[in-house]
Amino acid sequence: MNHDDFEKRLQRRPLRQVPAEWREEILATAGQGAKVERRAQEQFGASSLVSRLSAILWPHPVAWAGLAAIWIFIFTVDFSMRENAPAVAEKYLPPPAEVIVEVRQQQRLLVEMMGSGQKGEAEAPKLLPLPRSERPFETLTA
Amino acid sequence: MRREPELERLYDEHAQSLYAFLLNFTRDKSDTHDLLQEVFVKLARQPELLGGVRDERAFLIRLAHNAAIDLIRRRGTRERVKDNFAAETISSFALANDPDEQAFRTGLAGALAELPPDQRAVVHLKLWEGLTFEQIAAALDIPQNTAASRYRYGLDKLRDRLRPLYEEIK
Repeated sequence: MNHDDFEKRLQRRPLRQVPAEWREEILATAGQGAKVERRAQEQFGASSLVSRLSAILWPHPVAWAGLAAIWIFIFTVDFSMRENAPAVAEKYLPPPAEVIVEVRQQQRLLVEMMGSGQKGEAEAPKLLPLPRSERPFETLTA
Repeated sequence: MRREPELERLYDEHAQSLYAFLLNFTRDKSDTHDLLQEVFVKLARQPELLGGVRDERAFLIRLAHNAAIDLIRRRGTRERVKDNFAAETISSFALANDPDEQAFRTGLAGALAELPPDQRAVVHLKLWEGLTFEQIAAALDIPQNTAASRYRYGLDKLRDRLRPLYEEIK
């Protein structure tokens, strides 16, 4: 029997066809496998970040903990100072004009009272004139 | 479920070849199904595997062959027992209406089953896939000369085994 003829004879025998129903099943399973793989890769990404961080921090954990504590202290101090800042600012605000007028009236009254008791002994302190805008209404109309 | 278009293309273009190769190699429909599925699951999970591959068919046959070898190794003794009962296994050839032709195909399937798996794989790829020895060598990860010699040995055995049938239907 001729060699080539034999080979050709064998080649002509058709092979069994892959069952049609396998296509859906195999592709569905493969698609599911791809989804599982993607999820695993995402999880691996997160865990690798954690492992990288721990690799960085692991050699000197106390030093890193100390550094973290310092930063926490700095943030705490900064935050508390921010909270107090408005109160401090309020403390150093100039008193309102009414208060100043009232105080000066009190002073004047005190001087007058002292003056009536010890006439000629001491002269009442000379008050500086108030700006027109700060003078009480009675003063302006008198 | 969302499908991968690239995977569908690969299936449509290569599943038939892989099926025939695996069926000829394992001679078991269930194993062939599992192995074919294993190949496509692997491709779905690692699409980068095909990056830079020149000959898709040869590459996929290599994946399928490796999966089949792994399966045989896992099975060990059980697979060797199955080899002794080749008559019970499925033929990789389509059924024929003509009884003489069907007898020849059955005989051919039986003769192939008697070949060692390595020779059977090379003979299948050369005769029914039309691959060159270079492609077969790449697919099965063997030297080209080894592929050629396995083919010659395998073909001689088939000829001896099939001579009576061949002469009869010639």
